[in-house]
Amino acid sequence: MTAYILRRLLILPVIMFGVTILIFAMLMLLDPIERATLYVSDVPRTATAVQKIIEKYGLNEPIPKQYIRWLVGNKDEVTGEIEGGILRGELGWSHTAQMPVTEAIMTKLPVTLELALWSIGPIMASGIYVGIQAAVNHNKFIDQFSRVFAVVAWSFPTFVFALLMLMIFYSGLDWLPPESLSQWAKNIVWDPTVFTQYTKINTVDAILNWRWDVFLDAVKHLILPVFGLSYLIFAQVMRVMRSSMLETLREDYIKTARSKGLSERVVRNLHARKNAMLPVVTIGGLLFIGLLTGVVITETIYNLHGLGRLFVNSAAAFDVVTLLGLVLFSSFVMVGGNLLVDVLYGFFDPRVRLS
Amino acid sequence: MENRERILNVENLTTRFYTEEGVVHAVEEMSYQMDKGDTLGVVGESGCGKSVHALSIMGLIPSPPGKIEAGKVVFFGQDLLSLNENEMRKIRGNEIAMIFQDPMTSLNPVLTVGFQIMEAIKLHQNMGNKQARDRAAELLSLVGIPEAKQRLDDYPHHFSGGMRQRAMIAMALSCNPTILIADEPTTSLDVTIQAQIIDLVNNLKEKLGMSVIWITHDLGVIARMVNRVNVMYAGRIIEKGSVNEVFDTPKNPYTVGLLGSLPNPEATSKRRLYSIAGEPPDLIGKIQGCPFANRCTFVIDRCLQEMPPLEKLNENHEVACWESEKVEKF
Repeated sequence: MTAYILRRLLILPVIMFGVTILIFAMLMLLDPIERATLYVSDVPRTATAVQKIIEKYGLNEPIPKQYIRWLVGNKDEVTGEIEGGILRGELGWSHTAQMPVTEAIMTKLPVTLELALWSIGPIMASGIYVGIQAAVNHNKFIDQFSRVFAVVAWSFPTFVFALLMLMIFYSGLDWLPPESLSQWAKNIVWDPTVFTQYTKINTVDAILNWRWDVFLDAVKHLILPVFGLSYLIFAQVMRVMRSSMLETLREDYIKTARSKGLSERVVRNLHARKNAMLPVVTIGGLLFIGLLTGVVITETIYNLHGLGRLFVNSAAAFDVVTLLGLVLFSSFVMVGGNLLVDVLYGFFDPRVRLS
Repeated sequence: MENRERILNVENLTTRFYTEEGVVHAVEEMSYQMDKGDTLGVVGESGCGKSVHALSIMGLIPSPPGKIEAGKVVFFGQDLLSLNENEMRKIRGNEIAMIFQDPMTSLNPVLTVGFQIMEAIKLHQNMGNKQARDRAAELLSLVGIPEAKQRLDDYPHHFSGGMRQRAMIAMALSCNPTILIADEPTTSLDVTIQAQIIDLVNNLKEKLGMSVIWITHDLGVIARMVNRVNVMYAGRIIEKGSVNEVFDTPKNPYTVGLLGSLPNPEATSKRRLYSIAGEPPDLIGKIQGCPFANRCTFVIDRCLQEMPPLEKLNENHEVACWESEKVEKF
């Protein structure tokens, strides 16, 4: 198992190298003028100002040269200081966020991460549970009901659902507000004398600071977005679990397990579930990656300042540098997430550990 | 034989499947007895109800769509079909164990071989982990797997097909069953491994004093290891008795055909290998008369109207055929 994980880790740099080439190729599809315009601060922008930027940053130099500079940075000839270079973690200046891209990602990530972490647990647990129940009660009420629910959830757009929820529980009942915290809680969280932001994830920090009032407030603000995200993804997990479980229950080794006199509970929960989990692990990993790399609609509707918002805003402003940084970050999460899925796969399926 | 103790009495067993296409009459009015120490062969072609009859005895017919319509399976004086699921579970894997056709798919791929063997031991024998592990290792070496102790922690994919079937046998034997049901356990193995598995089961049967129900379509296997045989066709037993009687003087045209289609390596004549013309009937819906009638060379009008009952020819031979006195081996 250790060897298996090590092997996967060793491939990681190779994959990331490929990813940078792909992303850089995407950037090169834009001509130098398009890439330079945003950085001309005088309005109206003049052709000479644009040309100056192009020359200053060498935007019309040979592509390999630009690529290497993008990777390792640019050495200033006068001061001898190295500037930029994604290998040094310098992704450039984000015009949209008005701070370095790396910093922008690091400040927005906790919001997205919090949403993802709170969503993925309930999604997987309920999806797996209901999926199994539907499979073992094949064609009975719970099976039919969950199938209908899945179709409805799947075809019901998130933005309609999210807005409906907001109308009922915020405007109507005033139970569950949008945003990430109430104003009084924000005042506490942002005051370094009474509250330490260890992770910038509100719920986690609240627990670490022993502030249960802040924790409850954060949870209250999370309920709607988590619910809005979950119902759709839950349906997906549930359907995969159901069909995988149905298939597994028809396998010969299930007959063997029953012929040993094992109870139906052991047959299902041990012999069938572990096999049936494999496809769910795969889609679970992909779904989590999806949640981490931006849930645009949910973040916009509930006014959460996460990566999804940053992505939309920088796309609208044609902020190439920020977009590039976000894409690079997403691919990193993607590669890392897939590694995690591979490791989990090894845990569930001993046959994988060999290859 | 010394003590002929009746251990299994199957009476009038009828199992049907209610599918969308119609009712499948998988096993019809099946009756036979088995004594302690017997090795009973159940032969017949694919889809004749051999496996369904075994699953009926084990109480493993998936329901729905399957349903045991009638009959009794009396095991040591107790009708298994009248037991509830919990009572039946104490018998399954403990008193009556089963091995299946395809060892490649019959072991759970994500659990170790040792775990799968120990599971039954812990369940039925009230043993602790340590004891069960020792017993599992002992069983693995009993079925001829070298370095059994180390192999307990292997997964099924570390084992070859033959070894997996050995492991399946070890699993089935783990609680010293009275009856071992072997459902075509050699069909998917190559010939040399087949012979090894047959010898293994034969030896273990002697050693452990089990009775074996060996389900197969391979008459060679039957002749080699069983003492009694049930010949099945379209869900019914059409001939049964001691293997010598049935194989030497078959009295049902179907049995004659089956035996006739065996290649004879010593034959000098260059006759073509015999095959029974036609196909077995569809088991959906009720069959009028004898199910073999449309393929039978001895057919008379009565065959198309009435199913012949099993008739006793002598103490060791029963046959269901209206024309049995005319039937002879060729």
